[in-house]
Amino acid sequence: MSQKKRRARSERRAAERAAVRAARSGRGTFAMLTTSALALIPGLAERAAAQSQENGWSFAYGYSMYAEGSLPASKVSAGSRERYDIDTHAFKLAAPIGGNISLGLDVAYEKMTGASPWLIESDLAGDPVVVMTGASIEDARTDVLASVTFIGEKSRTSLTGGTSMEDDYTAINFGFGREKDFNQKATTFSWGMGFSTDEIDPNGTSFNPLPSKHHKKVGSFSLGIAQVIDRASVAQSSLTLQYADGYLADPYKLVSAGGINSEDRRPGTRTQISWLTRYRRHFERVHGSLHADYQFNWDTWDVKANTLELGWHQELFELITIAPSIRYYTQSEAKFYAPYFALGLPATQDASSDYRLSPYGALSFKLRADVSLADLLKVPQARIGLQYERYESGAEYAIGSIGTENPALVDFSVLMLTLKTGF
Amino acid sequence: MRALRIALLLGICALASACQHVDPWERNLLARPDMAWEPDELAATQENHTYFSKEAAMPGGGVGGGGCGCN
Repeated sequence: MSQKKRRARSERRAAERAAVRAARSGRGTFAMLTTSALALIPGLAERAAAQSQENGWSFAYGYSMYAEGSLPASKVSAGSRERYDIDTHAFKLAAPIGGNISLGLDVAYEKMTGASPWLIESDLAGDPVVVMTGASIEDARTDVLASVTFIGEKSRTSLTGGTSMEDDYTAINFGFGREKDFNQKATTFSWGMGFSTDEIDPNGTSFNPLPSKHHKKVGSFSLGIAQVIDRASVAQSSLTLQYADGYLADPYKLVSAGGINSEDRRPGTRTQISWLTRYRRHFERVHGSLHADYQFNWDTWDVKANTLELGWHQELFELITIAPSIRYYTQSEAKFYAPYFALGLPATQDASSDYRLSPYGALSFKLRADVSLADLLKVPQARIGLQYERYESGAEYAIGSIGTENPALVDFSVLMLTLKTGF
Repeated sequence: MRALRIALLLGICALASACQHVDPWERNLLARPDMAWEPDELAATQENHTYFSKEAAMPGGGVGGGGCGCN
């Protein structure tokens, strides 16, 4: 056997031994399947699951700048045309404490400024135009989530607790999730549940100077399966059921009925079902991976939504990964939605002109670059990532024709920087 | 409900029959970072929160305690 062939065989065996070590240590495919499955549960979500994977310390920091595009003058009848800007700092820490237990902590802080759509009314020609608030809204949100994950030979169990706090809004959430591996860890079943209790204490407006506090409770249950298909591809499918009960309206929005304004009113309960399927395939020859995600949503407010996202992750020089992706989203309108209403709307009838409940479609493009800093800094897993997303929504992107487009539909851009390291 | 159960069973059978046996030492490609469901969990969390605030659907299967999203 030639020296070249011996060297190739030796390298192949070394790669195989590394793959076995990775699979046994809980990295490798095991890690990937796990990350998939719990990315479903409120509060618990992907965060706790991801933290349990690496069997070592890891720390990540992210900074993002979110900017909504200003509305054209033809669509605004009063208020500011400028919309929201949000700056976010986020931290993620995972710490193994021995005995197959891992602790996780996620903290995010957002600062928001700008103006928001208040109501939709008709202009003299009968076309809908939006009345915006002034551009003086300022708010901040702090989100904290703590988790503990128990890692067994063929299972993971996670518990989480967290809170989200704003000047006028407080949410507390808890979650539980469990995963179990079968078939030499080629198949992973997962299930979990989450619970959140939220309180909103709205600030007064000129329409309602002394609003009262409101509450809601949200519970969810999720079931999923992840499966290795062959040595280069894997798929995952999961179903989530969520039930919300309480005040589900928006206290900062009004509806217009023949020029008479009244509060946004929505049903007191909402059941949502989400079915998410994901597929990943690696193409060894070109060192690239295909990502394909499809999600279908349905709820008791009659909103049906479809989301399709396709991405390509290209490795270059074993140092950089470039990942362009495209995301398409479309939804139907809620059963109580209209851009504006006729005079004589009963005060007890549910009614909303919120653009988020209107029929529309959205297209977004994202470009991401990740650079490994492990060799440069001599720190394992150190890397830096930069990501840009452009999101545009409108009736023209929807499936089927839309009678009247909501003039408050949003376009936005997000620039995000992430740094990660681990030991 | 019965139809849903049958559909689920058929789906699992179809998936299982399409799968090859892959030994743990053959899974090096699946272990690549670019094959993860979310290669950057921090970025994915931020993205999901944005979609939760702007769209009617539950992104990624659900967001609890994600704030008001009233804007």
